[in-house]
Amino acid sequence: MLKPKSMTRAVIVGHKEVMDETVDTLHDINIFHIEEYNEEDSTFKIGKPFENAGDVSKKLVQLRSISSFLGIKPKEVPKQDTNILWAELDEKLARLENELDEKTEEKNSYETRLKELDSLKKELEPFVSIPIDLKNYRGYESLSVFAGTVKGDISSEISGITNDYELEFDPNTLTIALFVRKDKEDLVAEMLADYEFREIRVPDVEGAPSEIIADIESERNTINEKITSLEKSISDIKERYSDFILASDEILSIESQKSEAPLRIATSEHTFVIDGWVPSDEYNKMTRTLESSTNGRVFVSKQEITEEEEEEVPVEYNNAGITKPFETIMNLYARPKYKEIDPTALIFITFPLFYGMILGDIGYALILLGLAFGVKKLVNSDAIKPLMNILIYCQVSTLIFGVLYGEFLGFPLASLHGAHGIEPGLIAGFETINLFQSPIGGEMITYPIHRTHLVMTLIVLTALIGVAHINMGYILGFINEKKKHGFNAAMLEKGSWIVVEIGIVLAILGYVGYLPIAVGAAIFVIGFIMLIKGEGIKGPIELPSLLSNSLSYTRLIAVGLSSIYIASTVNLIAFEMIWPQGGIAAVFAILVFIFGHALNTVLSIIAPGLHALRLQYVEFFTKFYEGGGKEYSPFGYIRKYTEE
Amino acid sequence: MVGEEAITMMDPAGLKAIGAGLAVGLAGLGSGLAEKDIGAAAVGAMAENEALFGKGLILTVIPETIVIFGLVVALLIS
Repeated sequence: MLKPKSMTRAVIVGHKEVMDETVDTLHDINIFHIEEYNEEDSTFKIGKPFENAGDVSKKLVQLRSISSFLGIKPKEVPKQDTNILWAELDEKLARLENELDEKTEEKNSYETRLKELDSLKKELEPFVSIPIDLKNYRGYESLSVFAGTVKGDISSEISGITNDYELEFDPNTLTIALFVRKDKEDLVAEMLADYEFREIRVPDVEGAPSEIIADIESERNTINEKITSLEKSISDIKERYSDFILASDEILSIESQKSEAPLRIATSEHTFVIDGWVPSDEYNKMTRTLESSTNGRVFVSKQEITEEEEEEVPVEYNNAGITKPFETIMNLYARPKYKEIDPTALIFITFPLFYGMILGDIGYALILLGLAFGVKKLVNSDAIKPLMNILIYCQVSTLIFGVLYGEFLGFPLASLHGAHGIEPGLIAGFETINLFQSPIGGEMITYPIHRTHLVMTLIVLTALIGVAHINMGYILGFINEKKKHGFNAAMLEKGSWIVVEIGIVLAILGYVGYLPIAVGAAIFVIGFIMLIKGEGIKGPIELPSLLSNSLSYTRLIAVGLSSIYIASTVNLIAFEMIWPQGGIAAVFAILVFIFGHALNTVLSIIAPGLHALRLQYVEFFTKFYEGGGKEYSPFGYIRKYTEE
Repeated sequence: MVGEEAITMMDPAGLKAIGAGLAVGLAGLGSGLAEKDIGAAAVGAMAENEALFGKGLILTVIPETIVIFGLVVALLIS
């Protein structure tokens, strides 16, 4: 909590003979973060990949191309035994590829034939209405044949040129088939040119066009049937082999990681050196495992972490399970540095708190809670799950605030005592209870809290929450700074802000008359001088941000109110303007209600989420957080589909 | 006098509403103007490097405060 895991730098040295076992073991325990070796003026060289690397990556490429062709998706399957998998991998992979090749080839040939048929059919279509066998268009010595389209009937024109002709004309498609003696060819061609004659190629087949087209149709049908059955058998293959593909992808990936590991390791002629990081509490486990797997032939040693090296330490969060989802929010900003405070646990409290304060509506909380659980159940993705968990936490908080505010989809649950008398709430008989007079603005604090009627009080309250949150940031900054540069620097850089704030508070008290005003002013000046010493000229420039930052927290009420106003406008339009008319208008009312609230539900994720996030990032983090730590990625693999 | 009559015609509630509207509207314009440039730049940066999403988001929402102040002022007026 509040601190990343402690890391130990470890150097593993051994004879090259045991490099294989060492890499294997490190990969299996999956806790060692290898520091990449770069070969600058040193006698050590980067290692060469193990012999099987080429073979493994070749198979992996082959498998992945098949997998993407079949569209294999990750799923839950029983784990398979790696030994059996390795034993049958080559043979099964070859068989799979053969089967697939055969089917796709067959499918391709059918598809080509289908295209041929289609184009033939297109060519034949103009000739359908002309009852001449296609073979009769060709092979004459003394006859010329014109086949094509014209813009009108040419029979009268042609009889003007010659009587010795045979004309077939389809007035619908304006297609002609004209047979004339060769000696009249030129004259006829000229005449046809006037009629915008456009030649059509006569397909190179025999028989009556309509019969051929009928044949084509029946052939197309059989081919389509065959293609469907092929597709089915391809999806059968996918069904049969998907477990195998997932599992062997995994073992091949693991093997390829292992076989390429020497590329990150320093080697000499006979020895190898692996440099890297291991979580301190796992160090002993690692040395023990390495020793037993190599019969004590590797030497592991702990290294001191120097100050420059602190930058390089890979950072692993150390958070309890329930706060873990909020690491996503941290990563979005920046991973903490090794020596820095990890505020994940604080965000776990404040983020849902702010979100709930902004939204605070039972109706939306229930809708979004259902949505979050639904998405979590349906979508099996490691990226979505933490987000949905965050959403669930936020909705629980929203639900609590919803009960506190007594709101349901923008309707007040309890009756409302306004300037214009009493408006009944959604629950009949649920009366608003007056608790006490607020010291700010003279407003009456009630249960449930009607946010629309307590604006003044809530604005001040949220600004005070802001002050508290910002000061928490300064305190964390103080702790960070003390760890890095000692107490004095911390006091000047971060403590000065708190002194300045105390000065301001005392000065206000003095203004009201509790204290002499000079006390506050003096403390303020002391704080101010400390600030200049600590932060330089930057300090006074940033001083006004103290005000704007705390006022920024008024969004906790302001954004919430805007969401209420949207919801109650939807309710107003639906139930007071359209619903009472009845009939078809009632349908419109329901539509307006559903679409309006659907829109507001979407806004209810975005607006409060973004604003709550912003309060963390801009107002809170800037007070103490630096970030920029390196990600801890241990050498290893989390097996999903296989087991040893 | 005509002027006096016009002044008495002004309803304080209406003036309040106009003031509140101006506060939100002008502050919104301010936020919008600031955000459009930041947003465009942030999207550009994100297209180069997706890891900048978080930073881009923060920078984009910083001017949001302006409109929130406007909203708070409007709430205080009305």
